[in-house]
Amino acid sequence: MSDLAIPTLQAEAQRERSAIGSLRLIQTACILVIALVIVSPLFMLLIASLKDDRFQILADMGSFRAFWVSNPTLSNFAEVSNLSGELAFGRYLLNSLFILGCTVGAGLIVNSMAGFVLAWGTLRGRALVLSLVIALYVIPQESIIMPLVIMVSRAGMTDTFAVQIVPWVASPLYIFLFYQFFAQLPKELFEAAEMDGASVFRIYRSIFLPLSLPALATVSILMGIESWNQYLWPILVTQTDYARPIAVAIATFFGQDSIYWDRAMAASVLMMIPILALYLAFQRWFVSSFVGSAVKG
Amino acid sequence: MTLQQPALPATAVATRPARRRDRARLFQEIGMLAPAVALLTIFLAVPFLLSFWTAMTNQPLVPRPTPVRFIGLTNFLRIFKDDLFWTSLWNVSRFTFWILPVQCGLAFATALLLHQKLPLRNFFRGLFFLPAITSMVVVCVIWGTLFQYPTGPFNQVIGFLSGGRIQPIDWLGDPNWAMFSIVLLSAWQAYGFQMIVYLAGLQGIPDELYDAARIDGANAFQRFWHVTMPGLRPTHVFVLVITTIQAFKLYTQVAILTQGGPRSSTETVVHYMVRAGFEEQKLGYASAVSVILFLIVLVIALVQRQLLRRFDV
Repeated sequence: MSDLAIPTLQAEAQRERSAIGSLRLIQTACILVIALVIVSPLFMLLIASLKDDRFQILADMGSFRAFWVSNPTLSNFAEVSNLSGELAFGRYLLNSLFILGCTVGAGLIVNSMAGFVLAWGTLRGRALVLSLVIALYVIPQESIIMPLVIMVSRAGMTDTFAVQIVPWVASPLYIFLFYQFFAQLPKELFEAAEMDGASVFRIYRSIFLPLSLPALATVSILMGIESWNQYLWPILVTQTDYARPIAVAIATFFGQDSIYWDRAMAASVLMMIPILALYLAFQRWFVSSFVGSAVKG
Repeated sequence: MTLQQPALPATAVATRPARRRDRARLFQEIGMLAPAVALLTIFLAVPFLLSFWTAMTNQPLVPRPTPVRFIGLTNFLRIFKDDLFWTSLWNVSRFTFWILPVQCGLAFATALLLHQKLPLRNFFRGLFFLPAITSMVVVCVIWGTLFQYPTGPFNQVIGFLSGGRIQPIDWLGDPNWAMFSIVLLSAWQAYGFQMIVYLAGLQGIPDELYDAARIDGANAFQRFWHVTMPGLRPTHVFVLVITTIQAFKLYTQVAILTQGGPRSSTETVVHYMVRAGFEEQKLGYASAVSVILFLIVLVIALVQRQLLRRFDV
């Protein structure tokens, strides 16, 4: 029986290997085609932002000239990256960067501390706190935004940076991600440090936090994208351009009648650069850790 | 949802210095938990509870000398009598109907391809995620140009391929096409996250299952149908539910590109809510819409829980 089975399996494996070879080829071709379709709009954006003839941009886009620029220029970027005046996208970009930095920085600290206590604390009622946090996760931002606008305007917080940062620092999702990450680290880590007389904060700060690079990277990327792309909230709470983020500035500029495509494109490219840098910096940890927790959450 | 509580360390014998240390530890724990709890209470729990109250008042956006009155369920009754609300609900359902196959299909297909051991796999994973990190505002600038009528890129390509037989389409200006156009750009922007969730799901299926199926003589298609698909069941549920919830919250692309038009064909629940609250200044009314939105999302989330429980994960 086994004498017969082994050669058949080998023949089968060989047949399969050659089938896999041609399958590989088809798969690679599919990936290339999809990649072309997916990425070409972004590539067109980049190319268009480098053209200096604003009337030609739209006409070019229907042909292969959309993917080619004969004499690239950075003049569009120079026009839109002012720090003051009418096209002060440079300033709006800095506003957004400041908001992102503060939100992510504070968010990493606040959410990871809470997740740590929920995972390793001795506080009574922390199971209750955890289930409340999970219950809060269901509430969408859109459905609390109306009362929140009244609250912050009564508190005189409209048109500030704080109003765009503070409400979004703590988040059920990120507390839960940190909780899950900390909870699966070995118990011995905690106990050994406790034996040595380290305080809870010390254990969190010097032992658990340095080990949680994947979680920190994941939360940084998710929070960063979320903060960077906020649109509804800032249009409701910012009226002047003092604290206006770049997303709102581009949308306002884009919504005007006479469209300067070249400038809109250049401002859009400007807006993509920082978040792309953030993603590239943390991507290594992001894909591998975001993952399992998300499905069960 | 499975939550694993780490085992509590055994309580030390309660000598006096130990008790003092316990108390210090307790204070530290409270201190570490307090910022998150305070922020979540002020900026999530309180406005959430407040929205139920505001929904039953005639609260205006700008304070008026006349006091705010409690008007019971009047706002809800008015909403249910407003045709535009039902239109927005219908539009969002249409959007969901289209976005589920387009976005989840794209995510699933790309995840299946990128799960194979192909050259430059990680490069392509990063590349395919690029639209997901692109801000919706930027997406609107790009697709706004692609959709230009009558000489935008899409129309030129269609005209070229059909030899001029197909008339240019007014993608965002034709009520029959506007929502579908929004679907296309939304799917392009958002599929990346679902792709990553699917990749994680695929990684979670043990190789032994594939080996066992191979020994049993299953071909590639049978392995996909009898190993991959059952293994991905919780992932499918998660992806479909997340996409549905996102679809019901549709706002930004509509606000930027169509403002709910043409002829209300892209009006959505959130856009309807923001208009009621900030253009018509009826905050109480808008809060009532937000309560309805929350209830819809809650029902979808509960359905997800039931389904996941049934699949025993």
